[in-house]
Amino acid sequence: MSDHPVTLGRFDAEEARLAGLKPADLLSLGLAAALILLPLLVGGSWIFALGVCFANSIGVLAVSVLVRYGGEVSIGHSFFAAVGAYSVAVLDTRFGLSLLASLPLALALGVVSGVAFAWPSRKLSGIYLAVSTMALALAVPELINNADGLTGGYEGLYVSQPVIPGIAMSLQRYYAALIVLVAVVYGLARLRHSRQGLQLLLAKAHPAAADAFGTRRVWARVAVMGISGGIAALCGAMLGFAGSTVSPSGFTLWSSIFLLVGSVVSFYGLSLPRALVGGAFLTLVPQFLSASGAWIPVLYGLALLGMILLGHYLPRLRAMIADRKGGV
Amino acid sequence: MTGILRDLFPLVWSGMITGCLYALGALGLVMIFKSSRVVNFSHGNVAGFAAFLIYGFSSGMIMELSWGAAVLLAVLAVIAIAFMTYAVISPLVFESDLTATIATLGIGLIAQGATLLIFGADIVSLDLPVPRFSMSVLGLFITGYDLTVLAVAVVTIGALFFVIDHTKLGIAFRAISENPFAAEVCGLNLRSVHLFSWIVAAVLGVVGALLIVPTTFLSVTTVAAFMLQAFAAAVIGGFGSLPGALLGGILIGVLMNLFTFYVSPEFSSTFLLGVILLALNIFPNGILERVGGTRV
Repeated sequence: MSDHPVTLGRFDAEEARLAGLKPADLLSLGLAAALILLPLLVGGSWIFALGVCFANSIGVLAVSVLVRYGGEVSIGHSFFAAVGAYSVAVLDTRFGLSLLASLPLALALGVVSGVAFAWPSRKLSGIYLAVSTMALALAVPELINNADGLTGGYEGLYVSQPVIPGIAMSLQRYYAALIVLVAVVYGLARLRHSRQGLQLLLAKAHPAAADAFGTRRVWARVAVMGISGGIAALCGAMLGFAGSTVSPSGFTLWSSIFLLVGSVVSFYGLSLPRALVGGAFLTLVPQFLSASGAWIPVLYGLALLGMILLGHYLPRLRAMIADRKGGV
Repeated sequence: MTGILRDLFPLVWSGMITGCLYALGALGLVMIFKSSRVVNFSHGNVAGFAAFLIYGFSSGMIMELSWGAAVLLAVLAVIAIAFMTYAVISPLVFESDLTATIATLGIGLIAQGATLLIFGADIVSLDLPVPRFSMSVLGLFITGYDLTVLAVAVVTIGALFFVIDHTKLGIAFRAISENPFAAEVCGLNLRSVHLFSWIVAAVLGVVGALLIVPTTFLSVTTVAAFMLQAFAAAVIGGFGSLPGALLGGILIGVLMNLFTFYVSPEFSSTFLLGVILLALNIFPNGILERVGGTRV
C-alpha cells in the first residue's frame, strides 16, 4: 500500500522545494504541452481513444486520492462516475444544455453523493469499507435501468451538444477531457500543500495527533470521500462527453475494479504522468486486445498482482542491494 | 390475513433453502478472514470457474466423465488454485491485509478471464443428479432439490463445526484467529493453518456453486453474483464469526425472498446495499456479538 508515513519534518523540505520548479513539474508541463499539440500529428480514432484515456485517468486519480489521503480502498467508484456521466447525458439530451452547464452540476452531485455515502459508512475502514463500496457498485446498473424514463435504460444516451459551436466535435471531445484532467491534477497538487490537505494526511497517518490538533476523523473521512466522489463524477462526465455515449454497461462493478487496477498500476500516483499511465492502461489495453476480449481480465489481473508484488518486493530488493554495496 | 400467511410460509421456507447456500459461501469467506484477515474477493469467480469445470468434465466438452468423477476433479483443481492463490499472496498477508485483499481481486479477474477463455460467454445448464420428487406438507411445496440442499448444507456445516470444535487442526485455527502472534509463539505454523482455511473455503464455494446453479443457469457471472449475497451474509454475521455467517446467510435468504416478492424484484442489489450499510452501522461486530470497541 501507499503507506507513506507522513512525517512532519518532510513538509519543510517540500515547502522549500516549492520555490523552484522540480524536474517532475517540468515533465508534467512538457507532457501537457505535447498532448495539446498531439492532434496536429495523429488522426481520428487515436484522438477519440486519447480523449477516453484522459477521462479514465481522472477516474484513476479519484481512486488514488482516496488511497493517498484516506488510506482506504474503493471498488465502488463507478457509482460516482455514473452520477457524473448521467448529469452530462441527461442535461444534454433532455434540456439541450452543454458541458459548460452540466460539468459543474456533475461535480456538485459527485461531491454530494460522496459525502452521502461517506456519512453512513464513516465508522468503517479497511476491508469493511471495501465491501460496502462493492455493494454500492453493484447497485448502480440496476438503479440506472429502473430510472429509464430519465436515463434511457439499457440503451443509454448519446452526448452531442458542443461546448463551443463551430469547432469539430472530435477536437472538442479531446480538449475538454484534457483540460479537465490537467485541472484535476493541478487542483490535487495545490491540495497537497494546502492546510486542508495536510490535515487530511495527518488524520490518515496519525489519527490521534490529528484529533489533538482538532481534525476530527469523521470530518477527514467525509471530506476525502467528497473530494474523491467529485473527481470520480468528473471522470464520468468526461467519459460521457469524450466517449459520446453513456450506458449502464459502462458503470458496473468491473468498471470500478478496473479503476482500482489503473490506480494500482500507476502506484497510486497523483501526478499527470502517473495518472496517464493508469488511464492509458485502462483504455489502450482493451484497444489492442479488442480481437480477444477474454484476455483483458486475465491481463488486468496479472498486472494488478504484478504491481502489488513489485510494490512488495522492490523495497526489499533495494535494501538488499544497498546492504551489499555497504558491505563492500 | 390468511392470504399473507399462505404466501409468507413458502417464501420463508424457500428463503431458508437459498439462505443455506449463501451461508456455505459466507462460511468460506469467514474462514479465510478469521485466519488470515483477508477478504477473498476471488471467491465467487473461482467457484464459478469450478462449476464450469464440472460442466466441461461431464458434458464431453473437455472430457466425458461421470458426474461424481467430474466433481472430484473440479474439487482437486480448486484445491490447487487455492494453494497457488495462497502461495502468491502469502507474503502480502503478513504485511497489510488491505493489500492482500486487493490482490485477491487480481486473482478473481484472472479466474473470470480463464472461464471466458476456456468456456466462452455462453449460458449452459448444469443439473444435479437428484431424484425428481416433490410433496406437499402444510401448504409447503417441497422438492427433492430442497431436501438435497438442506441435507448437504447440514452435513457440510456440521462437519466443519465438528472439525473446528473438536480436532487439533480446529483448535489451531481458533487459536490463530484469536491471537496470531501468541499462536506462533506457541509453535503453531500460521501458514499451514491459513492454507487449511483457504482450501476448506474453496471446497465450500464449489459445494455452494453446485447447489445454486440448478436454480438458475450457469454463465460467467451467475456464481459471482451469488457470492454477493454470501458477502452480505458474512457482513451481517460480523465477518469474524462462523455461526454468525450461518445465521446471516439464512437471514439474507429469507429477507431477499420477502423483498423481491412484496416490494420489487428490480431493486434487489440496492436492497442488499442498504442491508450491508445498516448491518455495519448497527452491529459492527455482527449480530451475535455485543457492540463494543473496534474490531481492527
